[in-house]
Amino acid sequence: MKKISLFVPCIVDLFIPEIGEATVRVLRRLGIDPLYHEAQTCCGQPAMNAGYRDQAKKAAKHFIDIFGDDDVIVSPSGSCVYMVKHHYPELLRDEPVWLRRAEEVSERIYELSQYIVDVLGIEEVGASFTGTVTYHESCHILRGLGVSDQPKRLIQKADGALFVPLPLADMCCGFGGEFAEAYNYISEEMVKEKVSNYLESGADLLVLCEPGCLLNIGGYLSRNHPEKKALHIANFLAGTGGGS
Amino acid sequence: MKIRTALFNEIAEKEIRNTYARAFLKALPATIAARRKAVMDSFPDPDAAQACGQAIRAEVVARLPELLEEFEKNALARGAKVLWARDAREANEMVLAIARERNVTYVTKGKSMVTEEIGLNDALVESGIEPFETDLGEFIAQQLERPPFHIVGPAINVPVEEVCDLFMEKAGMDEPTTDPVELGYAARLFLRDKFHHVALGVTGVNMAVAETGTIINLENEGNIRFNKSSPKTQVSIMSLEKVVPTMADAMHLTRLLSRNCTGQKMSAYVSMDSGPKKPGEIDGPEKLFIIIVDNGRSEIYGDPVAREALRCIRCGGCLNICPVYAKIGGYPYGWAYSGPMGQVLTPLLLGLDRTQDLYRACTLCGSCREVCPAGVDHPSMFLYYRSKDVEKDRGLRGKKRPWKESRFFGLWSRAVTHSALWNLGVRLVRPLVNRYSEGGVITTMGGYFKGWFRTRNLPPIADKTFHERWKGLRRKTTGNQSGENRQQ
Amino acid sequence: MEQSAREEILGRLRGIPKTAVDHRPDMPPLRERSLDHEEMIATFIEKLTLEEGVVCRVRDGREAVVRITEIAAEEGLQRVMISTDDVVASLDLPAWGREQGIAVLTSRDFGDRDSFRDAVFDEAEAGITGVDYAVAESGTLVIAHDTNQPRLVSLAPIMHIALVSATRIVATYEQAVEAMYADTEHIPSHVTFTTGPSMTADIQGRPFKGMHGPRRLTVILIG
Repeated sequence: MKKISLFVPCIVDLFIPEIGEATVRVLRRLGIDPLYHEAQTCCGQPAMNAGYRDQAKKAAKHFIDIFGDDDVIVSPSGSCVYMVKHHYPELLRDEPVWLRRAEEVSERIYELSQYIVDVLGIEEVGASFTGTVTYHESCHILRGLGVSDQPKRLIQKADGALFVPLPLADMCCGFGGEFAEAYNYISEEMVKEKVSNYLESGADLLVLCEPGCLLNIGGYLSRNHPEKKALHIANFLAGTGGGS
Repeated sequence: MKIRTALFNEIAEKEIRNTYARAFLKALPATIAARRKAVMDSFPDPDAAQACGQAIRAEVVARLPELLEEFEKNALARGAKVLWARDAREANEMVLAIARERNVTYVTKGKSMVTEEIGLNDALVESGIEPFETDLGEFIAQQLERPPFHIVGPAINVPVEEVCDLFMEKAGMDEPTTDPVELGYAARLFLRDKFHHVALGVTGVNMAVAETGTIINLENEGNIRFNKSSPKTQVSIMSLEKVVPTMADAMHLTRLLSRNCTGQKMSAYVSMDSGPKKPGEIDGPEKLFIIIVDNGRSEIYGDPVAREALRCIRCGGCLNICPVYAKIGGYPYGWAYSGPMGQVLTPLLLGLDRTQDLYRACTLCGSCREVCPAGVDHPSMFLYYRSKDVEKDRGLRGKKRPWKESRFFGLWSRAVTHSALWNLGVRLVRPLVNRYSEGGVITTMGGYFKGWFRTRNLPPIADKTFHERWKGLRRKTTGNQSGENRQQ
Repeated sequence: MEQSAREEILGRLRGIPKTAVDHRPDMPPLRERSLDHEEMIATFIEKLTLEEGVVCRVRDGREAVVRITEIAAEEGLQRVMISTDDVVASLDLPAWGREQGIAVLTSRDFGDRDSFRDAVFDEAEAGITGVDYAVAESGTLVIAHDTNQPRLVSLAPIMHIALVSATRIVATYEQAVEAMYADTEHIPSHVTFTTGPSMTADIQGRPFKGMHGPRRLTVILIG
């Protein structure tokens, strides 16, 4: 029996747990009842990005210990999946046993839309939305994992949804973790442009796969265009709220 | 050239409000990216073409000393003089010695970033020799005493009115005009006179071909060709990573360089020098000096991660696609090299302690890495530099991180490895954060995260985190069971 | 002093342990390699025309001279500088010049480089040269400069007229380069690739033709 387990990123855990709930709901609709290891905490990305590799390594080992026996790990966050796949082997390069385990885990971890479309082979998940929907291509998902088609297909197969393209969809929204705070004057201009493109698209809804982007774009919308919404793909597919 | 890397924020905040520059920069990612894609599609397999370029540059880094020796041997065999300069001072002294020997009062220069790096123009001026930048953009930037705005368009942000005033004051233009074509013609006349009588031409080098001892330059204007054709003496200055193994490699890189730089299939001119002119040839340099500049690179070479920065071919593709550059332009990077490639190279040449913002003012979006024909992994390099600050690495001059940050990550690493601590931490922090929540949204946290809250809201920490909700979510049958799977 | 700088630099570089060089990835050949002669010519003309080069095709040297006469009349040319490479030489342009009352200068008319330089900068209204190769992939002229092909003739005058023998058409840069650099004893001192008139977009990003090099490039394709 395959062990399919859920990795819920710290941003989702703390701020938008509805994304995690929606992920569970969607997977169950597809016949998957995921495990959730309660000992999980964080993939270590904040430490990695800040240059604290020893600390990131600790997080990595903790993660591998927790998830090491699972056959599949699914996460509603592309940047976390990228951290595991790309950075864990790098961090553990000098420890052969850990490196091997990291490489094994990195082959089994998927971002949510990637898992549904590529692994399960499903595009219609019983989602529905009446209106036009557009999609923001988060950097780590697009360029890090090569995932782009999958979320769009899921959106297009939602009953009643009409997909419209987002101008400059693959341009960074300006989150970048610490960057959004430390270089806020640049970050603001980037998210402003992203939102302006969203408005220009005329879409009723903006869907994305990355919780960090959602905090950023959603946070800007909440302050400046509260009538416009951004939603994580898990919530979109589950048909539940919990966007910005 | 003044080094202003420590003024990144000050300059960037000013530039981001420069509506004129912003309007120009806004067009950059959309148009240039489209042009680049269209012209890369002229390759039957653009990804393979890019991978090949990356492999060539990887080979250059791996074989650097032997390729430099091969280049030198073949260049000498062709009659060129090859000089090696440890640093900027030595390189400038060589040029000055060559110039003084010939009683030169002025030189004409093609665009060369390494000459900006070493501050050649300042050294010439101090010695009473006038350097004329002849690339139109460099000419304008030089006359305005500004650093380059963009690798390829150094003054592309300067409004025509300003160029007009400048040319009337300094380029002998009589009638005012704001037509770029007429302005270009005025610059042509002014600089043509300099080309006509010049005794010493200075160029950079795009590629130094080891196989044949040939130096190659790409350009659109023709000014580099003039520097190689009119004067009796030519000095071509290269940083040591410019070497490439073979002419075939050089042709492939020429294709990639043109496409990534300006979205052109081919620049208007490519010129290749194998030694000085031959006896009987009526123009061209009688003496060709090639100066190979180190200036810290051979030290970098010892660091297996950092040395990958030496792959860069200065195409500017990363500048054209960077979302941060598209907001702030080239000035904030504070030196000869701007955009992502400047963020990679400048910290290595000047030290991390002087260049903190360069590798931190980045979202790690990876667009640069994706387009790079040389295979530089910019985001990895930035993460590497950040880790070197934490380690206080002496070689790279890492700068100690703020105490509060170190403390935070110390605590954080305890919490991430002990979920009970993590969950406890959340329970402790939640009321502190959520006291700012009003109507289900946080619009300020007093003095905390002022940068974020200037234009953005934040949701409060959930009254039940996902951890806390799991009990209600899990099914009685969940445990090791995973239900029916469609396709594994 | 330089010797020790060289040893210091190379010494540091050589001191680092060597790493393996990866195998070069495969790359499919450029599409132009499969073009036949006429297709290469058509591609060459198309690409150069896109860059605002003017290309006209003539059957032989006689027709080429007719075309040059037309251009001279259109442009009001009085003094031109020509190279003495074999294609240009075969047209006997000095004789043509005498007939037309147009001064046709070559580098041989000048005793020293300075007077030649003065003439090519200040007097020549056009430069007429042959080329060594014409590359279809981008409409590029390849010239190996030597005693018969001074550098400034195709650079300083505001107009460049290039005589291209159709037998010299190749598909890609490598083919031209392989031919020119094969004999290590006789590598040209200076080779130029020219793809259209000189240009810039350095003022406000507005592209225009004619910066330092010629503003007009006319190719007469012979054969």
